[in-house]
Order: sequence, then C-alpha cells, then structure tokens
Amino acid sequence: MNIFAQMRREFAAFFYSPIAYVLMAAATVLNGIVFLLVVDFLSDPRAPHGAAMQMFFGGTIFFWIVAMMVTPLITMRALSEEKSSGTLETLLTAPISDLQVVLAKYAAAVVFYIVLWAPTAAYPITLSFYSKIDMGPVLAGYLGTISVGMMFLALGMFFSSLTKNQIISALLSFAAVVVLFILGIFEFISAGGSSDSILGYMNLWTHMEDFGRGIVDTRHLVYYGSVVAFALFCTVQAVQSRRWRG
Amino acid sequence: MIKVEHLTKRFAATTAVDDISFDVQPNEVIGFLGPNGAGKSTTLKILTGFYSATSGKVEVDGNDVFRRPEAVKRSIGYLPESVPLYPEMRVHEYLGYRAALKRVPRSDRKKAVDLSIERCHLGEVRKRIIGQLSKGYRQRVGLADALVGNPRILILDEPTIGLDPNQIRQIRELIKELGQERTIILSSHILPEVEAVCSRVLIINEGKIVGQGRPEELRAGIVAGSASVTVEVRDPEGTARAVLEKVAGVRSVQDPEDRGDGLIRFAVTADTDIGVRERIFDAAVASGFKLLGLSSKTLSLEDVFVEITTGDDCEEVDGSREDEEEAQ
Repeated sequence: MNIFAQMRREFAAFFYSPIAYVLMAAATVLNGIVFLLVVDFLSDPRAPHGAAMQMFFGGTIFFWIVAMMVTPLITMRALSEEKSSGTLETLLTAPISDLQVVLAKYAAAVVFYIVLWAPTAAYPITLSFYSKIDMGPVLAGYLGTISVGMMFLALGMFFSSLTKNQIISALLSFAAVVVLFILGIFEFISAGGSSDSILGYMNLWTHMEDFGRGIVDTRHLVYYGSVVAFALFCTVQAVQSRRWRG
Repeated sequence: MIKVEHLTKRFAATTAVDDISFDVQPNEVIGFLGPNGAGKSTTLKILTGFYSATSGKVEVDGNDVFRRPEAVKRSIGYLPESVPLYPEMRVHEYLGYRAALKRVPRSDRKKAVDLSIERCHLGEVRKRIIGQLSKGYRQRVGLADALVGNPRILILDEPTIGLDPNQIRQIRELIKELGQERTIILSSHILPEVEAVCSRVLIINEGKIVGQGRPEELRAGIVAGSASVTVEVRDPEGTARAVLEKVAGVRSVQDPEDRGDGLIRFAVTADTDIGVRERIFDAAVASGFKLLGLSSKTLSLEDVFVEITTGDDCEEVDGSREDEEEAQ
C-alpha cells in the first residue's frame, strides 16, 4: 500500500529537520521537571493522598502546556511546507488520493507525538521499584494523553492545510487548541444551567483528571473522535480546494 | 490515447485555457509551444489531475481524469515546471519513495530506481542530498522521478529550463529516446527544442490553440505562396536590378546592399522558391552579369511562431527572444 510509503516518508521527514530533536529534548526535560515536582510534593508527609502518575497526567497545568505547545509544532509543516515548496504538485499527481495523503500525514504526526511521550514510561517503571503501582490508571492516563493529542493534531493538520507559512500554521493551531481548552475551563466559572453541561462535556481539564484516576469515559472519546473526523474532513476539503478555487 | 475536448479553465478574472481540443496518439511526442503565460502549464496541470477544469473533458486511455483520477495518475509521469523535490532527501531515497508511491511492487523497486538513475545519468550523485545538487542535476532527478515506474505517458513542463547547452542536448536526446516507446507531452517556449524532439506541435496563445501540425507542415503553411531569395551579383553596369524585376514570379526586389568591389546583394520576394531561382540563374546568364550567390531563406519555426502569436511580421519578438536567451 502506498499510503504506508507516504507515512514512512512523513515520519522520516520529522527527523530531517532539527525540530524533531528540539521537541523531543524539550518535552523530555519539561516532563522530567514536572514528574520531579510531583514526586517531591507527594513525598511530603502532610501532602494529600494521591498517586504520582495520576497527578502527572491530570493534576497540573504543566501537562497542558506540553500538550498544547508541542502539537502545533508537530503539524505546522505537514501541508504548509508542501504548499510553499511546490511538492504538493508532485505528491498529488502520484497515484494517491488527497484523503490518503492527509491520513498518512496525520498518522505520522500521531506516531511522532507518541514517541515524544514514550520517555515518560520510565516514570511509572521507576515508581514501581519503590511502591506498588496500579497500572490501570496509568494506562488510562496514556490513553487520555494520546486521544487529546490526536484531537489537537487533527486541528493542526487543518490549519496547516490553509497556509503556506509554517509559523502562521503553528500560531493558528496553537490559538485553536487554547480556545478549545479555555472553553471547557469556563465550566468552573459559569453560573450553571444548560451551558454548564455543554462546557462540561468539553472540559478537557476534568477529562484528564478522569483519565488520571483510571476512568475511561467513552463520552470523552466520542468528543475527541468527532473533532478529529471533522478537522480531517475539512483538511481534505482544503487540499481539494486547489481544484475549484480560482 | 489522450483526448481533450473543449477544455476551459477560468481563474477568478482570467481565462487561462479557452476551449482547447486535441488528441494525442500512442507514441507521439507532442510539443506545447507558446509564450509565457499562454496556458501551457495550466493545461498540463489539468491533464495530470492537479487542477480540475472549469468545463470540458479530458480522457486518458478512456478514463476520465476528473472521475477516475487515480487510474489516470498511474499511467502518467509528470515533471512540473518548478521541479519540486524534497531537498533533505538523498537521490536514491527520494526515487525509492516515489517508486513506492507509484505502486511499483517492492521486489521491482530497486530495479526501477536503478534504471531511472541510469537513464538520467545520475549514477555519481545517487547518494547525495538533493538540496546540495546543481540545478542541472535537480532537473534530472525530477525527470528520473517522472520516469520511475515506467509510465506510458510522460508530461514534461519545460524540461530543459535552466540547464546549460550541454545538459539541454543530453535531455533532448533522452526525450527522443524515450519517445520511441512512450507518449510524451512537453511544453516549451524554446522553438529549436520543440523542433528537435517533437513529432507534432501545438501552438498555444492566450489559452487557445492557434496552430498545430508537424514542425515542417507549420513552416510550409506559412511559407506557401511566398519565398524569400537572396541574390548576390557582380554588377558593374548596374543593370541587375532591372533584370531581376523582370524575372517571372518575382514580386519585388528590395534592399540592394553594396558589398563593395561591385558586389551587390538583393533580397527578392517571389511566389515560388526553386522555380524562381532557376529563372534568376537563366536571366543572369542571358544578360551577362555574374551570379555569385543564390539562396532561399528557410523560415524557421520561430518565424512561424512569431507570425502566429503576434499576428505581426517581426520586431515584436523581444519577449520570446529574451526568454530563449535566458533559457539557453
């Protein structure tokens, strides 16, 4: 299948530029600091009871800083670079459909995002030497991390399809991701009523708290899945717009 | 093999391609000739399925480009005008990736890449990073990419632009060689190129086909009914002009040019070429002046092109001449 050839090239392309290495280094350092702070905080005898990984995923703003900073930088070049260098033309005149191209690029971005988080697997492993670890919530935390990331990446793909400029692409994606995050946060300050349940449905902060506790709520996953599907659909439309736009 | 019917492409305010129709037969090498901005590239982009048409129909092997783009894309190798490549990849990596993308089976892929590299003389740079290659090499990598997987149709948009004369010759040889077993459509604004490699020429101007045929035919069409003959005589008595004007078939004798030492050169316009030259010779012998030169000027495709695209005899060719110099 040539979609895999495309995916392989997209994944390799991350490592052709220094961005991949910078991102991996930054994410690893940031996550390391967060983990250190969490463990330090919980090791205080007066600290509330809590599992370190639960706090790592859902308990601090740092998780969101990493997730929201990293995803626009992963997807910013996806289509923008092809547009600005003209390679979109050779790519789309090869026997591969627009949808396949978008899916291949998206899949490569998701895999790279997972690679970014992979080093954090060392934390629960390290912890398991010192205390008993409940793996359920840890796995749920990763599921949440990856599914929220997939939603952000899909949005990033869409903005990358709109512009030739990678910086604009990254800024737009970042703005979109922040808006999505803040909207949910409004649940905390809203006066209640019907808006409350909608905002609650979109409240990523509480979603991640759930995942961190080991609760896998399918409503959350349906929400992410819908955003992913819609964003990728729009991306394909944007790629195809070259055909009818004047 | 390729059938284009009433193809039109409009961008917001301009009509880039205006009701074009043509057919391409198998193993034909067709040249799209036209000044910059004539609609050549747009037409090629529609043929390859990158753009869709505003109206009209394009069929490749009976498959509609708009309805079944993937079937069509499989049989086409395309070199866009700007030769877009991934600068960070190595030549053989890039071609391997393109082969996979074009669904060359894994087992044949290495062979396909090697063949393409050999054909385009890329052997010595196969492991180099594309971004570090010279323009000439990059052009050839683009061509190698179009070739990989052995498509039956090649669409080459300005394949020799930016190359030096030696490279241009090499690429033309390659195109000729490839054209023996493939259908090729190439675009160019360089006339000698089209004349050298194409079996048929379509002249496009302002989105319309304004002339088509074999290069010789096009030339003949313009030449018919008018020939331009240069006559050089030694004419101490100054009678030559009068004699020439009386020769049957001569329309006018212009521009006597004194070459010194009694040598004079005339430009003669006549109805036919060979017949007139014979009669001029006889007339010269009969009236006793010495004929030193007698030649007819063959119109080049360039003259035809200028004639057709400007509707003007000459002088307004600056644009295309400059381009030609640039490109060569």
